[in-house]
Amino acid sequence: MSRIDPQQAASALSDIDSVARRVRQSTVYQLSSLLIVMWGVLVFAGNIASFLWPRSAGYIWIAVDVAGIAGSFVVSGFGRTRTGIRSFDVRMLTAFLLFLAFGFFCTRGLAHFTPRQLATFWPIYFMLAYTLVGLWVGRAFVAIGLGIAALTLAGYFLIGDWFEPWMALINGGGLILGGLWMRRN
Amino acid sequence: MAEFDDIIHQPLRLKIMAALNALPATAGLEFSRLKKLTGATDGNLGAHIETLAKAGYVAVEKAFVGKKPRTTVTTTAAGRVAFARHVATLQEIIAGAAR
Repeated sequence: MSRIDPQQAASALSDIDSVARRVRQSTVYQLSSLLIVMWGVLVFAGNIASFLWPRSAGYIWIAVDVAGIAGSFVVSGFGRTRTGIRSFDVRMLTAFLLFLAFGFFCTRGLAHFTPRQLATFWPIYFMLAYTLVGLWVGRAFVAIGLGIAALTLAGYFLIGDWFEPWMALINGGGLILGGLWMRRN
Repeated sequence: MAEFDDIIHQPLRLKIMAALNALPATAGLEFSRLKKLTGATDGNLGAHIETLAKAGYVAVEKAFVGKKPRTTVTTTAAGRVAFARHVATLQEIIAGAAR
């Protein structure tokens, strides 16, 4: 048995705290990255489909959301078997639906957006959530949120008829790359 | 000055136990991830995990994923109790000095 002084004890507690924080962040990244990549693939497909069939864009995005929610439960179940932690549960689903409802209220109730404005609003609205969440759980979320939001706005102002393919690339592709980058970290 | 568990007190073993205790009880960490989180070398980490396993503080599970070997380390119930007691002792030492 050893004896230690208060300074050594404080240093040991600080080490414990630092490692625990890194484990929590790495676990959040590991679990979220799979969800982010999956949403990236869906968003990529949604944008391409909206470009090809613009009149069906509303239905396409409803299908993307439904597939995303179902996929999130599947990915979360897969993550749970590996880590014991559920990354998407009923509380997350409720938050997601409330978030969507507020977005619909803004874009349909308070104002009427053009298709291009809608295609800009939703990504930057979601990226705002990524950025805010990132302030608590890790800088990777902030980088993904701000990066995609900035490129979305650049596309809105600078890209002409190829806006949807641009969004497929930077929103869908951005999420896929961001998720893979997060996984590496 | 207080006395406590020498097995957990060693700096790398303290980091291993801190990492495993930050997870839910049933969750474990793969050797490669534990290596990244603690900044230890393969040999050093393996030796200290073995010490913790001999003390009954961690369980080591070896499996194959395809052709790749995968080692997962999990804390045992005894390990969680010992770690909690160790943290409490550290806090007591600091509180005692502040009195």
